Amino acid sequence: MRTLLLAIALGVVLSAYDAGHLKKALDEKECVGCDLRGANLSNMDFSGGDFHGSDLSSADLHGSVFEMGDFNDVNLSGANAQGALFWKGTMKRSDLTGLRAKGANFKGTHLEQSNLSHADFRSTKSWKANFSDAILFKTDFSDAELGDAKFIHNDLRTVKFKNSLLWQTYFSNSVMSKSQCTFAKKEEAIIDANVTCR
Amino acid sequence: MLKAIMVIWITMLSLWGGLIQNDEQFKSAVAGIGKANKLVLMIYTTDDCPECAYMKTKVFHDKAVEPYLSRNFVVIEKNVHKGKLPDGYDFFGIPTMFFIDKAGNKKETVVGSKRPAEFHKELRRIREIK
Repeated sequence: MRTLLLAIALGVVLSAYDAGHLKKALDEKECVGCDLRGANLSNMDFSGGDFHGSDLSSADLHGSVFEMGDFNDVNLSGANAQGALFWKGTMKRSDLTGLRAKGANFKGTHLEQSNLSHADFRSTKSWKANFSDAILFKTDFSDAELGDAKFIHNDLRTVKFKNSLLWQTYFSNSVMSKSQCTFAKKEEAIIDANVTCR
Repeated sequence: MLKAIMVIWITMLSLWGGLIQNDEQFKSAVAGIGKANKLVLMIYTTDDCPECAYMKTKVFHDKAVEPYLSRNFVVIEKNVHKGKLPDGYDFFGIPTMFFIDKAGNKKETVVGSKRPAEFHKELRRIREIK
């Protein structure tokens, strides 16, 4: 009984979006400052869409295209963005904690000052993405392609870079573990003098 | 020393068919295969494309990839921002790699970069396509 009540309560929380906002998002392919918590926006084309300031926590975005989209100041915590395309978009100052983005495309995406704690970025295509000033606590970049990406002012010690591609990836003013530094150098990353390896 | 330089130079020449500007140069590159049992690998690039640079400077010259590539392929490059694209070769993403036989038939298209081991495997697969 307790489990049932918990499941119902969780269901209510997960699908707590505003129906009008969801309709607007689906019709106009964008929605600024909207409540889209737990909404289903999967497998659709939202290219160029503006979602800045929206709450998309626990939403389902998997397989959708958000090419050059605006996700600045957005809450995407716990959302499912597996295989989604955010190519050349902006996600500055956003809450991406626990975002599930395995296999997604973040090529050229701006993620400055966002919180990526516990985010799953495994196997993402993140060439030239900018993670400067982002919080990267236990973020998983295993098998991710991070060539030419930027990590400036980051504490990377809890980040997983297993088998990630770090060719010409730029690290500056950051803290890394010794093993991360060794791996990054082997991958031909650019580590400037202001990076601490400890 | 001189011998080593010559070997590197010959390897580079056999691998790199050149930068093409237009359809005529593309056709000429395909015709240039002659009787050799090779395929053309045409890579679409732009100046501001780290993935393209990675393929050209790292993957194509990987110690396992390079010998196989030079034995079986002639690589040509087309900067999509300079000049007209060869007829029938539109693209979605950069880099795009087209594999073309000496009769001018497109055998395969690969979009995006690959790591050396994966790319080597892909080259072997494409080589076997009838």
